Amino acid sequence: MARNRGQEEDFVTPLRRLLVGVLVLCLIGMFLVWRIDSPRVERFRAQVVDKVMPSFDWAMAPVTATVNILRDFQSYRRIHEQNQELRRELQQMKAWKEAALQLEQENARLLDLNNVRLDPRLTFVTGVVMADSGSPFRQSVLVNIGARDGILDGWAAMDGIGLVGRISGVGDATSRVILLTDTSSRIPVTIQPSGQRAMLSGDNSAVPPIEFLENPDLVRPGDRVVSSGDGGVFPAGLLVGQVAQDPGGRLRVRLAADYERLEFLRVLRHRGAEQINDPGSLIAPRLLPGGQAADALSVEVPGDG
Amino acid sequence: MAEAASASRRWTMRMAFVTICIGVILFNLMPLETTPRRWAGPDLLLVMACAWTLRRPDYAPAFLIAMVILLADLLFQRPPGLMAALVVLACEWLKARARVMRELPFPAEWLAAALAMGAVLAGYRLVLAIFMVDQAPITLAVIQLVASILAYPVVVLFSLGFFGLRKTAPGEVDKLGHRL
Repeated sequence: MARNRGQEEDFVTPLRRLLVGVLVLCLIGMFLVWRIDSPRVERFRAQVVDKVMPSFDWAMAPVTATVNILRDFQSYRRIHEQNQELRRELQQMKAWKEAALQLEQENARLLDLNNVRLDPRLTFVTGVVMADSGSPFRQSVLVNIGARDGILDGWAAMDGIGLVGRISGVGDATSRVILLTDTSSRIPVTIQPSGQRAMLSGDNSAVPPIEFLENPDLVRPGDRVVSSGDGGVFPAGLLVGQVAQDPGGRLRVRLAADYERLEFLRVLRHRGAEQINDPGSLIAPRLLPGGQAADALSVEVPGDG
Repeated sequence: MAEAASASRRWTMRMAFVTICIGVILFNLMPLETTPRRWAGPDLLLVMACAWTLRRPDYAPAFLIAMVILLADLLFQRPPGLMAALVVLACEWLKARARVMRELPFPAEWLAAALAMGAVLAGYRLVLAIFMVDQAPITLAVIQLVASILAYPVVVLFSLGFFGLRKTAPGEVDKLGHRL
């Protein structure tokens, strides 16, 4: 048979090529729209995830459980050592608990003496992790709570101990948590005890670096890192982790949350810090003696906070 | 009868393609790895698309590939549409060469697939850089490319073993008598 692939070939090929061209243009158009007007496309993405993920949960849950069981099975070999180790740790923890209880009582007494008003206690919603980002380039998880539970974009997600990430993308029954390790994650933090402000910026490694630190000399490995609440992103004072120094001398944060085992996440309900915009009508007018000082004080206070 | 059988087989294989791809997506999504990894596995969807396009273009039409990768884009939190567009373009390039490829030995096919995958991943990073989107470290992307290239023969063997996805023999015709 010679290569006479008749007229129909010449008729079909250009049409097909045209259709594929249109398809590719549509896809690239979608990318451009995403780049220009990201929130709308992200909302569409949240809807797709919301439709797809719950319907596949029945298939994914058993397989995930099986794989986890197999992994746990490997650790049975070392179970005796682990048991001993846990007992030792428990002893230490008991001592710590005792100290903590005493400190708590003392703290409560001191606060009472000083008449301090603490932050209203944060309430939270707990969700189960359904899926991870599915790609090594993105660090995020899906949790099974969404708009119907009152979740809003930007709320903080913690495991029992430390900050894990923030909500970014809410569907009706699911929402996505961008982990602190993701390349697009930027969190304002305070480093205790020096009280310096910095940014924690994820770089797809397990220990994200600290950036924009004013005076690195005041920070030592081992210092506590907590969220600072700057910019109203998060409530202040959530534990993030500890400072560590990498071999290159760069300061990084060893996260307190257990990223190996993200099963349940609590999402903190955060209504945003109240802003004080009122200049304060009760401050004495400038004319009075000492008015200069009062005026200066009223200007200084918001900047200080 | 043979016509009907061939048409139904074609649709079965298309369904099989979609099913495998969705399976791969779900397996990737399982919450097994929540810590950042130092390595990256192969992009199995890309490998599947290349392998099936090179072997039997009629079982993996551009539209299906586009839809599957677009779904993956949306679920994997990637910029939607970009990867899908690049993979469709690469598969069209491979499809244009599929006829020549079937007379050549396997290494040639492997090389073509590797070139296509390399072009897709490089193009992806390039476009993201042009549009100034945050990217993961380049080492991960290189590892993924190498892993994808190494995974290609495995995927081909898998498709051959479980779905009988061999290359069309020269002179084989479809139901309307067109040469494939």
